[in-house]
Amino acid sequence: MSDANIVEVTGLTKTYPGMARPAVDGIDLIIPQGRLFGLLGPNGAGKTTFLSMLCGLLAPGAGTLRVLGRDIRQHTQAVKRDLGLVPQDLALYPSLSARENLIFFGRIQGLRGATLRARVAECLAIAGLADVGERRADTFSGGLKRRLNLVIGLIHEPRLLVLDEPTVGIDPQSRHFIHETLRRLNREGMSIIYTTHYMEEAESLCDELAIIDHGKIIAQGSVDSLLQQHQDGAIEIRTQQAMPAALQEQVRTLPHTRAVAIDDHSLFLKSQQPESTLRATLTLLQQQHIGIASVSMGAIHLEEVFLALTGTRLRD
Amino acid sequence: MHATLHKLIAAVAKEMRVILRDREALLILFVMPVTFVLIMSLALQDAFSERAGIRFPLLIVDHDQGVIGERLMQHFGSDRAFNVTRLRADKGEAALPDTAQVQEDLRAGRYKFAFIVPAGASRAAARRMDQQLGLAPAGKPPATEVDIRLLADPTVRRDHRGLVISGLNRVLQGIESGMLLARYTQVTDRVRALGGPAGTAPRKPAKTLATFADITDAADSAAATSTPVPTSVQQNAPAWTLLAMFFLVIPLSVTLIKERQQGSLMRLQSMAVPPWVLLAGKTLPYFIINQIQVLLILLVGMYLLPRLGGDALHIGDAPGAIALLSMAASLAAIGYGLLVATFARTPEQATTFGATSVLIFAALGGVMVPKLVMPLALQQIANVSPLSWGLEGFLDIFVRAGGVREVLPEFLQLLAFAAACMTIAVLRFGHGLRHN
Repeated sequence: MSDANIVEVTGLTKTYPGMARPAVDGIDLIIPQGRLFGLLGPNGAGKTTFLSMLCGLLAPGAGTLRVLGRDIRQHTQAVKRDLGLVPQDLALYPSLSARENLIFFGRIQGLRGATLRARVAECLAIAGLADVGERRADTFSGGLKRRLNLVIGLIHEPRLLVLDEPTVGIDPQSRHFIHETLRRLNREGMSIIYTTHYMEEAESLCDELAIIDHGKIIAQGSVDSLLQQHQDGAIEIRTQQAMPAALQEQVRTLPHTRAVAIDDHSLFLKSQQPESTLRATLTLLQQQHIGIASVSMGAIHLEEVFLALTGTRLRD
Repeated sequence: MHATLHKLIAAVAKEMRVILRDREALLILFVMPVTFVLIMSLALQDAFSERAGIRFPLLIVDHDQGVIGERLMQHFGSDRAFNVTRLRADKGEAALPDTAQVQEDLRAGRYKFAFIVPAGASRAAARRMDQQLGLAPAGKPPATEVDIRLLADPTVRRDHRGLVISGLNRVLQGIESGMLLARYTQVTDRVRALGGPAGTAPRKPAKTLATFADITDAADSAAATSTPVPTSVQQNAPAWTLLAMFFLVIPLSVTLIKERQQGSLMRLQSMAVPPWVLLAGKTLPYFIINQIQVLLILLVGMYLLPRLGGDALHIGDAPGAIALLSMAASLAAIGYGLLVATFARTPEQATTFGATSVLIFAALGGVMVPKLVMPLALQQIANVSPLSWGLEGFLDIFVRAGGVREVLPEFLQLLAFAAACMTIAVLRFGHGLRHN
């Protein structure tokens, strides 16, 4: 393994007993040091299983998994010392104050004395909680709790920070605060792995992404390269009136065209012959007297890439 | 190792802080048992200890209708400690109860004591007296000692039974002395009337007159329990302490499930800390709390209860045995709490199942109703309850003056229960981790 890689995965597989299909199915992945790396995937895609193995919570079934330069199987404790996990849930003690929470997790991570006190003060400052450090966490708003949840993962200054959907259910200000904090930590050299269901968040925050589905990595690269790979032949039309179901079905059956996402007021299509597809679609809309709000070709967002790759079928 | 110890101390300190801030848990763990011990010890004091001011209901079943029944009635009827009912055939009683019926009345609590005076007892006593004095006509078969039976409620304390036996023996000795004096007077008067020399007396009697059969606790209180009966506080203090100790099942399992649900457990497991430190950090505080509970309730029983008019708790002379039993009971309770936590999916499930199962254990184990008043079959079933083992152990120390050796069986039973629960819990805990 190269020292430049913080995570190196080869043929990683995990099958739960009694399950026919592996939850993680032969993943190969390299995450260079210093990246803010996004891991995306629909529910049940294998993200949590992968992260659990990465954090030493679950033993890998087959393949190799090296984290921070060490084999996770042989050096679990050493890896854990340099890794910080920020779970999706608020993994803190509501009846303890913010300071007490940080002191406890700091001591569990092996910090003591002046070092611990300094780190607690620093983390409270990072989270903007210095003024409310003595307040019990159960008196905090959702945003304050999320910020505390984040800095608990930073208390021991990990080299790698793993965040599992850390901005669920909070206001835009707190989300912005967390994003800025992560960008700053990343600039200062911390490697970050970030999972989220908010595509615009991943698009704006991460410099590299992997999309996982059915236990496999189905796409990987920088945000720009992923967008570029999928923008050719992309058509997006927004309508003024709702499109009837019959019309939506007609669009779906246009030749050389794949409907990625269609709802009452928007069409997102991929076509091998985009110009003829656009013409045919506009004709159909005109025949049904559906007004057009906007048309774009070749411009694409991460959400469309994600849906194009993972489909629109609802997941459990 | 030093670093691990530091982490363990941090985990214990955190858990203690969390518990101390949980008012509901503190109510369950401390206020509830102290309140129960005070209320139950005072409320059941009379039922357990028959104190001064309380009158023992006493039944005299008089088949004899002679002097013995009269004298028993005179003696015990004038004693304020007894409320005497005398059943006599000549008083219109259709049929006097037999021994089995009397025992049933005693078990049901209608009477605490019963004397059964057999038919012809007074005449038999006179014959026996004459025989011992050599006044009986020749050729008559030897008269046996007259057997006045004493039966007692199984829950009556041995010392109270002893007092009644002693009183009964005194009455019978008085009857015997009276009969002896009367016969002497009768004989000397007759001799004098016949012109015989003054001072002529009947044959010298046996050194010890034995007109009545001895009334002893072992022989005559067949219905009474052979083991000492605890006082109210001796029963209630350890009983409710054990219930409180086992009630930690609720806060322990709920906090474990919440940590699992909230992700704190996952976060802790992602840190460089051995799993045993996490488990010990979670359980040690409850072990400490259990020991404080025991100490607190013993002190309440010893010093507060007497001030409120109750009996003081006498804890015997084996503090080492108390400590051993207390530790084993705590481990059993913690083991059971971990087991409930691994099987329950939600705090609500843990609370409902934990509380219900502990209450069943308590009811079976003699916490609410002392085992000694349970039917024999239920007493056998009660032996499956860990609270029964703990309670029997404490009663061994408090009531039966037992020490470490005497409580060893209960100690080992509790430890085995703890080990079994913890093993299953750890196996399921590990299984759950691998599959979550």
